[in-house]
Amino acid sequence: MLLKLAWRNIWRNKRRSLIVLISLVVGLTAIVLTDGLSNGMMRQMLFNQINLDISHIQIHKSGFNNNKIVKNFIPDYKNVEFVLQKNPGVEAYSKRVFATGILSSANNSSGVTIYGIVPSEEAKVSIIKSSIIDGKYLGSGKREIIIGKKLADKLGVEVGDKVVAMANSSKGDIASDAFKIIGIFQTSNSEYDKMTVYVQAATEQDMLGIGDNYHEFAVITKDYNKVASIQNNFEKSLGTGYEVYTYRDLLPMLIYQMDLYKESMMILNVIIGLALIFGIINTMLMSVFERIQEFGVLMAIGMKNNRLYLMIVFEAFILGVIGTLAGLVFGLLLDIPLAHSGINLSIFATGLESFGIGAVIYPVLSVGNIINAVLFMPIVAVLGALYPAYRAIKLEPIYAINYV
Amino acid sequence: MEIVKTENLVKIYQDNGVPVEALKMINLSVSKGEYVVIAGPSGSGKTTLLNLLGALDKPTKGKIYFEGEDITLKEKSDLAKIRLHKLGFIFQAYNLIPVLSAIENIEFSMMLLGIPEKERKEKALSLMDELGIKELADKRPNEMSGGQQQRVAVTRAIVNNPSLVLADEPTANLDSVTAGHLLDLMERMNAEKNITFIFSSHDRQVIDRAKRLIILKDGLIES
Ligand SMILES: Nc1ncnc2c1ncn2[C@@H]1O[C@H](COP(=O)(O)OP(=O)(O)O)[C@@H](O)[C@H]1O
Ligand SMILES: [Mg+2]
Repeated sequence: MLLKLAWRNIWRNKRRSLIVLISLVVGLTAIVLTDGLSNGMMRQMLFNQINLDISHIQIHKSGFNNNKIVKNFIPDYKNVEFVLQKNPGVEAYSKRVFATGILSSANNSSGVTIYGIVPSEEAKVSIIKSSIIDGKYLGSGKREIIIGKKLADKLGVEVGDKVVAMANSSKGDIASDAFKIIGIFQTSNSEYDKMTVYVQAATEQDMLGIGDNYHEFAVITKDYNKVASIQNNFEKSLGTGYEVYTYRDLLPMLIYQMDLYKESMMILNVIIGLALIFGIINTMLMSVFERIQEFGVLMAIGMKNNRLYLMIVFEAFILGVIGTLAGLVFGLLLDIPLAHSGINLSIFATGLESFGIGAVIYPVLSVGNIINAVLFMPIVAVLGALYPAYRAIKLEPIYAINYV
Repeated sequence: MEIVKTENLVKIYQDNGVPVEALKMINLSVSKGEYVVIAGPSGSGKTTLLNLLGALDKPTKGKIYFEGEDITLKEKSDLAKIRLHKLGFIFQAYNLIPVLSAIENIEFSMMLLGIPEKERKEKALSLMDELGIKELADKRPNEMSGGQQQRVAVTRAIVNNPSLVLADEPTANLDSVTAGHLLDLMERMNAEKNITFIFSSHDRQVIDRAKRLIILKDGLIES
């Protein structure tokens, strides 16, 4: 009955309750939307990095990450392969030869990272194969190369043209080889496209003179949230002589940025929440002051303070729940289509692309965020009612009855 | 049996720092089943006295006994409990909760006592039937006349079988015919259910029909 009474009291002043509801809905929609958007942006940034070359876990000879020289190759890659194949958490892996060098065309030259890959393996780990926009992906042919769009533009080359790659060999002299461009790729990260090229692993091994050895294993796990335990596992199985890094270790700036972003979203939510709380305090106070006389009658007929308090808090709580449901429906109605089509930020696209985000942001709503938002509003509403309810029960019954 | 008794009751209000002696020295005793009217001109202290008898306010001096128990110094929450269990109130106007229908208003005081819903409904309906206001059950206060509202208020006041019903000028806003009906109702409840009534009035009709008349003047009982 107390709930029924609270419910009817809400609809006494329809306009006022609607204003509160609308503010709750707008607040919640804003939270759901900004949360989804920032979440989507962060994930896109992270996934783009992971899908380009970082992968979930990288394994090298220890010391390689700090000193990426050609002779720092993995001494016994078969052992690593054995460990990876045994681990059930591993989805796919790719062996890579790594060198930094210079790529030259007839017109120009540019500093590049030259990856030597096993094409079929790399296709399961990164998006390079699916990023080919011209020509084709690497196959079994020797002395073939695929390069980024931006680099192709800079060197003034296209599919079918010849380029020369130069790098330090394992003996310390300059090794070079001529390659035919068979494909051009374009990713969401134009800086990457300008600085990275891919060739057959065997060709690069020959050129560098490192036998059949590799520098890097790039591993994709079945669940990227569980990389820490898999990393641990690898370290134990491989023993010393190797270094095992997760994407969190390899992208410290991005991870830091994501944490920072999460915190700033929380602060934004708190600010929205505070604004709503003050709005509700104001509204509930008005509604309490309008009903002083009525509260006097309720007190006179023996309604205890805790019940009266509860009734007023219920009123706000009901508003909070309705506002949450409406806000959720609204927020999701906006968010779900956007999560499919993405939000096209192409006006800012050039900027975003060099950050490695991509021009289209797909909002991501996590269940956790939804639950937080759903709990948030009723709590906000109840917090806003505490003080007005306190004011109501502090009234003296005779003062209240005679109040006009 | 004595329901309520006052001993040398004094109430002094502070009106912007100026003391106002609303009640000067009231000694009064009301027994079970009495039907008492407190009469007196405006400002004579009727409302003040009813508020004290109804445990809504505390005296400046003197003592109040309710069913033999000294309630003068009791806590607010204890007084609320006494009001809930032992007292019924009828005010001049605006008695009912506007968002509840007549029957819900009556049920409300039973709800406060923790009576289950089914029992509440039955009891409210049968009492409304008895008082001839059954057809008002689903009406909201703003759909009822002043007289109808007061009759619902009487029903609410007596539904929990209180020891004492206090009514502060219950007929003040009613025309004389409607007021007469309300008085009929209260007299009937007094006679049939032996409910004790104390109410204030300066209405001729009410005073004429009083079984016991107490006349207040300037905060003192004149007779
Ligand atoms: N809250 C109050 N503060 C100050 N004076 C009051 C207050 N309530 C009543 N009084 C004064 O006390 C006297 C008695 O008032 P009241 O009991 O209301 O009389 P009645 O109900 O007979 O008209 C009056 O002089 C009135 O002005
Ligand atoms: Mg009065």
